[in-house]
Amino acid sequence: MIEQTAIKNRIKVNDMKNDSIKLIKNRSLWFDAWDRLKQDKIALVSLSIVLFYAIVALLSAMGLLAADWNEIVGPSYAAPSSEHWFGTDFLGRSVSRKIINGTQVAMSVGLISSFIAIPIGLTLGAVAGYFGKWVDEIIVWFYTTFSSIPGIMLLMSIAFVIKKFQDSLTSFFGSDFDIGLFAVFIALGLTSWVGLCRLIRGEVLKHKDREYVQAAGALGAGHFRKLVKHIIPNVTHIVIINTSLQFQIAIKSEVILSYLGLGVSGQPSWGTMINDAKEELARGVYWQLLGATLAMFVVVLAFNILGDALRDALDPKLKGKS
Amino acid sequence: MNKFKLGLSLLLLVTFVSCTKKKNYEEKVLVRNVSAKVKGLDPVNAGDTYSSTEIARVYEGLLEYHYLKRPYQLQPNLAEAMPEVSEDGLTYTFKIKKGVKFHDNKCFPNGKGRELKAEDFIYSIKRMADTKNISTGWWLLDGKIVGLNAWSDKYKGKDANYSDSVEGLTAIDDHTLQFKLTQKYPQFLYSLAMVYTFAVPKEAVDMYGEEFLNNPVGTGPFMTETYRQTNKIVYEKNPNYRDVFYPSEGSEEDKKLGLLEPAGKKVPFVDKIIVNILTESSTSFLAFESGNLDFSEIPKDNFDQVVVPGKGLATDYAAKGIVLDISPDLDVTYMAFNTEDPLFKNNVKLRRAMSLAYDNAKNNELFYNNQGLEAQTIIPPGIGGYDPKFKSTYGQYDLAKAKALLAEAGYPDGKGLPEINYETLSKTSSRQAAEFFQKSMSDIGITIKVNTNTWPQLTHKTKKKTAQMFGMAWLGDYPDGENFLQLLYGPNASPGPNGSNYNNEEFNKEFDVAKNMQPGPKRAAIYSKLAQKVSDEVPLILGVHRTSYVLKHAWLKNYKFSTFNHGNSKFYDVDMDLKEKTIKSGILNKTVDKKTAKAD
Amino acid sequence: MNGNLNYILRRLLYLVPVLLGVCFLIFILFNVVAPDPVHMLLGKHPSQDQIIQLREQLGLNKSLFFQYVDIVRSAFTFDFGRSWSTKQDISTMFMNGAIPSLTLTLPAFTIATFTSIFFAVIVAYFRGKGIDLFIRISCIAMMSISSLVYILVFQYFLAFKWGLFEISGYEYGFPNFLYYVSLPILIWVILSLGPDIRFYRTLILDEIYQDYVRTARAKGLSERVILFKHVLRNAMIPIVTYTVVQLPFLLLGSLLLESFFSIPGLGDMTINALNASDFPVLKAMSIFSAVAYIFFTLMQDIIYTIVDPRIKLQ
Repeated sequence: MIEQTAIKNRIKVNDMKNDSIKLIKNRSLWFDAWDRLKQDKIALVSLSIVLFYAIVALLSAMGLLAADWNEIVGPSYAAPSSEHWFGTDFLGRSVSRKIINGTQVAMSVGLISSFIAIPIGLTLGAVAGYFGKWVDEIIVWFYTTFSSIPGIMLLMSIAFVIKKFQDSLTSFFGSDFDIGLFAVFIALGLTSWVGLCRLIRGEVLKHKDREYVQAAGALGAGHFRKLVKHIIPNVTHIVIINTSLQFQIAIKSEVILSYLGLGVSGQPSWGTMINDAKEELARGVYWQLLGATLAMFVVVLAFNILGDALRDALDPKLKGKS
Repeated sequence: MNKFKLGLSLLLLVTFVSCTKKKNYEEKVLVRNVSAKVKGLDPVNAGDTYSSTEIARVYEGLLEYHYLKRPYQLQPNLAEAMPEVSEDGLTYTFKIKKGVKFHDNKCFPNGKGRELKAEDFIYSIKRMADTKNISTGWWLLDGKIVGLNAWSDKYKGKDANYSDSVEGLTAIDDHTLQFKLTQKYPQFLYSLAMVYTFAVPKEAVDMYGEEFLNNPVGTGPFMTETYRQTNKIVYEKNPNYRDVFYPSEGSEEDKKLGLLEPAGKKVPFVDKIIVNILTESSTSFLAFESGNLDFSEIPKDNFDQVVVPGKGLATDYAAKGIVLDISPDLDVTYMAFNTEDPLFKNNVKLRRAMSLAYDNAKNNELFYNNQGLEAQTIIPPGIGGYDPKFKSTYGQYDLAKAKALLAEAGYPDGKGLPEINYETLSKTSSRQAAEFFQKSMSDIGITIKVNTNTWPQLTHKTKKKTAQMFGMAWLGDYPDGENFLQLLYGPNASPGPNGSNYNNEEFNKEFDVAKNMQPGPKRAAIYSKLAQKVSDEVPLILGVHRTSYVLKHAWLKNYKFSTFNHGNSKFYDVDMDLKEKTIKSGILNKTVDKKTAKAD
Repeated sequence: MNGNLNYILRRLLYLVPVLLGVCFLIFILFNVVAPDPVHMLLGKHPSQDQIIQLREQLGLNKSLFFQYVDIVRSAFTFDFGRSWSTKQDISTMFMNGAIPSLTLTLPAFTIATFTSIFFAVIVAYFRGKGIDLFIRISCIAMMSISSLVYILVFQYFLAFKWGLFEISGYEYGFPNFLYYVSLPILIWVILSLGPDIRFYRTLILDEIYQDYVRTARAKGLSERVILFKHVLRNAMIPIVTYTVVQLPFLLLGSLLLESFFSIPGLGDMTINALNASDFPVLKAMSIFSAVAYIFFTLMQDIIYTIVDPRIKLQ
């Protein structure tokens, strides 16, 4: 949630020069970006790590990998050994299997909360930036209100609310439904759209008076067409960059949510494993903490690097600046 | 500029090093922790264990439990002697000790505490009945004292007039107090040992008004300044405390443990008590290990930190002089069926099947280190009604029988049975226990859905009867089987404590008769019978009677665990020299090789 | 100047609709959808009478509209009543809790900011070289570990095992509190370094790529002089504004740090309230932080104008 106003204000002065870039058709921007990305070896490694985690999550969700995480494989709290790389937990279940299975929660938390946040942030931001005036006022008022309540409280409150509708939700989604996880998805999604909204609004504000938009208007395009067909494609890169960063924020937030009691139950998650470690560490049981932290560290690191690389590739103005 | 910034950063780094406060060992200070915020120190709102322990340092009541004797025995505290009870069992007359003074406080003229009078108890008990106070202890006396309910109703929603007399509460003279009960109520005496009825001076309540809960003024062995909710409460010894002596009677076991050494000496022994509020168990654990706390009553869920699975206290603790005190507690854990739920209402076979499929011994091993006692009925050992020989038919682990019964219940192999919702707390230990239950049920084909809740959410669900099954524990309010059996008493259904909403006509009738009987073998026999009959009906899958775990350092003396820990801190002592020596030696922060700890 | 004064007044008035919005949001969350708190507050053996009495006392019998009005009233009078779980007066709790929180967050923030700017300058100066890459990767790596992990590990090793810091607790008064806040401050600083260094680096580099820098270089000025005399000075504007925006959050304290280290600040208060479903405290915190947030964003804009005359307040 870093305020990007500072950067935007600086860039304002340079905008006139860079307008020319925007007149080039969108397609070559993407090809350009991919070219740049390909050259960055570290970014490619990060991308493959992310994909690897995604595949593990998928395989696990389908039951092909670590489906037997709930099985008791050894004595309670066995230390790491060649047989169990990360030892066992309090029940004697394999920690390594729990970690692998926990990838599901991590990846889905990031994915689904983004699915919720993106439409909201994009739509509201675009509409606010484009139409301005009282529409803008209302939307700005709305997200100011939202962001002035401390994030944690908003998360907890939303989760409370969702749990209240547990029964109707279960009958809608079926008995396999995990309300804890669902609450996490919704709560994270509903609290992370504000950052995107602000950025989009800023960009759209800049774009709406640009020549290419006016040109489209002269050719008979109405508001909707101008917005959707011309402006939004030019801000999509922001969505992508923002999402890749939000993803890892979501993964880290799951740990805190777990601490606050909003945890996932019924399947392992890195957040619950780290929270279990609170009691375990004092008696020298470090392996569950180590395993979960390591797993999270690698994928979050990969997302961070990827996000940076995407920003460099997609927004050449900022190249080398982050 | 560059160098300046570098220098600054280095300076800051240096100040971080060696940042621990120097400790002072001159005063005799007892340091302990409490794991939840204390609700202020007003006896009338003392509900939870944490607050009542704090309140009992400052306030005192007519009766108390003998420190060492087990089973728990009442003895006079502010009363001269046990009361005279009339023949019909309805009138209790107490003589109050003379010369007992309240703490010096500015609410009294000249700031000097005045003498305790019988009227003070009448005042305190009226405060319980005052609806404005919404006392969590009102249930103890609700409907039990002549005229008190009328007084309470008269002033409902208004400012109560405390000069308006109540027939059942009379001060015959300044030091004679008389109670008149509406019915025979043998548990009445226990309520006089509970903090709700402790003596409170009217002057303090009048002066401090809403802030009274932060300005305690009592007769107790310790006093404290205005409580400011700062995660730390500091108590000082009461210089005007009357003569109270360490008990001279105890068991052989007590003698062996050295608990009778200070017999006859005047208490309290320590000059100061510091109570740290540490809500995170990991933090309080580290604080204890490093010697910052003299003892730590481990919340029942976290004891597995200290004990190596299957063994006793980890050897490294023994080397550091740390003692693990394991004592039986008056307690029972259970998983309740909401017997009003259509699934469970008329299907006792289903409930029995589930109980048979639950391996209580494994539960005891995993979560209580085999120190708990598998509960056969709802009554724990140590009180009348407990039968050590009884084994509940459906409380034993028998998968084959469970499967057979499940089929008889109409759900062979669990087919046709919808998912059952089990509510529990989101705490790690509760979650893990729930996962174990879930796994056990899956062995006979029953699917359990575990829902985690915060404590308020769980309370809400159980009180509103929306929980299908839930996990709970009950700690006795007083050492009488009635307090446990009432968990199954029909009229006590939610929002009362009977969370399973069990309602059996016969049980209710027999219970009504038994609860008014004086304690004795006849009553114990009836309690036993009732408890055992209910076991067969399985409105609850019983867990274990838990034990309490207290970790103490070698320098803490005279400590004995008590379920009713009100006011026992006056008996504790701290060997400051030993404490200083042990901490300075640095042995507390070392890890002894865990491998040697495995020695049996 | 008059135009600016107008703007400031308008922005201050903007506080009102936002506050009303916040109250409405709070109202929906706590009064409409949240579970009835009565049972939780009454203990094991509530009587029907007590339930009724408590509902009356808590104002739960009033119509929804009046409940909303109550919230708005408390927002403007700053009288939030008493906490349900601790029965303390909430305004007093706020005042008592603010001080410990500030003794933790202010020093932490100052140290973190100076250290981050320091490293950001280094990184900007040596951009492209090895140390740049090293620091940037370290930042990302530090950011990839959950704060909970830092707390657990540091408390265990630095405080307990090696006895370098106090494990928990707090004392009022200088210099007593220093002993207790030093480890939390250290953790806070480490948590902030990652994102802060990256952010300041971006700001500084923004400046470096400006035309005037190229001109200065062409004129023959050394990199060092350019960096310190021109770039840094210009970058100060966004840096300061960013700093000011962080201030309200400092007041709220750090929820996790205060909880684990038993520091009786506002963060600790919030965590307790969350766990105990203590609505009055939660409502009060929400309103309080909303007011602080708006006030400080206004300050940010004002400072911006004063400092950079090119930017006009609209």
